[in-house]
Amino acid sequence: MPRWGMVIDVKRCIACWGCTIACKEEHFLPPGVFWNRVLIGERGKYPSSSKLIYPILCNHCSDAACVEACPTGATYVREDGIVAIDDEKCVGCRACLVSCPYQQRTYYDKEVKDREYFPGQGKTEMELIGEKLYPFTLGTVIKCNFCTERLEDGMKKGQTPGVDEDATPACVNMCPVDARVFGDLDDPNSKINRMIMEHKGKQLRPEFGTEPAVYYID
Amino acid sequence: MSKDNHELIQTMFPPDGSGVKPYEWMINPTRQRQWIDKQGIFLWLAFFFTEIGAGLYFVSMFYEYKAGLVLGWLIALFLGGLIHVAYLGNPLRAWRMIMRPNTSELSRGIWVIGAFAALGFLQMVTSGGFNIVFNVIMAILCLIIISHGFTTMNVIRALPAWSSNMVLPFSIVSGVWVGQQILQLMFAITGSADLVSGMEVWAEIFFFAYFLCLVLYGWGTWHANEIGQASIKMMVNDELKIITLIGVLGLAIVLPLIFTLIMWGGQTNGFVIFLRLASIFAGDLAVRYIIMKSAVYKPLLERN
Ligand code: SF4
Ligand code: SF4
Repeated sequence: MPRWGMVIDVKRCIACWGCTIACKEEHFLPPGVFWNRVLIGERGKYPSSSKLIYPILCNHCSDAACVEACPTGATYVREDGIVAIDDEKCVGCRACLVSCPYQQRTYYDKEVKDREYFPGQGKTEMELIGEKLYPFTLGTVIKCNFCTERLEDGMKKGQTPGVDEDATPACVNMCPVDARVFGDLDDPNSKINRMIMEHKGKQLRPEFGTEPAVYYID
Repeated sequence: MSKDNHELIQTMFPPDGSGVKPYEWMINPTRQRQWIDKQGIFLWLAFFFTEIGAGLYFVSMFYEYKAGLVLGWLIALFLGGLIHVAYLGNPLRAWRMIMRPNTSELSRGIWVIGAFAALGFLQMVTSGGFNIVFNVIMAILCLIIISHGFTTMNVIRALPAWSSNMVLPFSIVSGVWVGQQILQLMFAITGSADLVSGMEVWAEIFFFAYFLCLVLYGWGTWHANEIGQASIKMMVNDELKIITLIGVLGLAIVLPLIFTLIMWGGQTNGFVIFLRLASIFAGDLAVRYIIMKSAVYKPLLERN
């Protein structure tokens, strides 16, 4: 069984927000909800300061704080390492949301559901179709799922995630500079593993102790 | 700006700051919102009522006072329990929270509250309910419930302000202190003058223990790390300043101190006991509010 992970080369990232938009489109996320963000900050003080650009998403941690906190088992780690949420079991206690040190979860309530991209003008056809094609359950928590549907559909067709586009997360496909690489962390020969080894890939804030499956090369 | 544009900006970046721009997410210390803002306010009240209910039950056992037991049991289960359920996004699925006692503090709490409900009921209805075995078991359950809310917060490693070692002692002292004050007022109303003045010595001890825990909590959080300092700064600056001054300093500390000094030496007075209870009730709510409201996450990007 593979263990899916991602490497993001921040030196390549041009902060175009392509991944952010691709993700919103893929999952029909309402206004204000992001499963993918590109953070912009700075390090050091002038004149020796530098700009930081960090694309972030759920890290699908192997020692996930959200999984530990969930009282119902709705949040769980799948065999392939993806941290998933079973919306049938979620009670909406938000223990997972408060516990995630990366703050990668969103509580989906009526206020979020009712948001319109063009406020006061009603929902667009796209938004209405999205609610049918990719419905979320009210009163539950949502987050990045590494495009599970794409992975599973692609693999059913014999494709390889991280190699074949149809089996690869939308943010990885969209990235115009190939800053994102997706693959199997348990396969020593996978591109992702080679990149982590060769470029000394690091996890974001490893001191949080959640063992992220997303690595950064900077 | 057109009206529609204004509404769009309100949707994306509401005035409460919850709509932080996507590229600024978590680049500064960021306040936790889910367990205090909007519907999260229920959780603040639920923790409070569950804990003071268990506190009242706990203290009532020492006086073998059934009315106190009943009131504490009802406050903890019905007021605290129902508000807990009202907070949930899917209240009808609340039963599922018993599923993960091995890892989740919330889940463990449900089991303990279930045991408290059943055994407490038995203790109240059986004639020999105040025997040593029952008392010890119920005392342990009460102490766990009193500290349950803060234990749930304490185990969240992502929020350093809640990880202070003083969180648990503070929660136990505050639950017992408020419970003891409710019981003292009940005795004052029912005319048990000896008991009321006897309880005053304990009131003095609990008040000073409460004050000490608060000071140590603030001191420990400030010295823990820079994120703890950000939390303490938030308590004394920004919009929490008024609550800290009036609620924490005034109602939780200064007024109870004045009322305690007035009754020093056991010169108790029912009306002053009532005023002190009202003051610590509001004050303790204020303390819990600022602790929940000022907890911040560490930024995701290293600045240095
Ligand atoms: S990043 Fe947060 S939500 Fe994602 S797996 Fe880790 S702890 Fe859970
Ligand atoms: S909100 Fe849902 S997924 Fe999150 S901890 Fe509660 S039950 Fe689990």
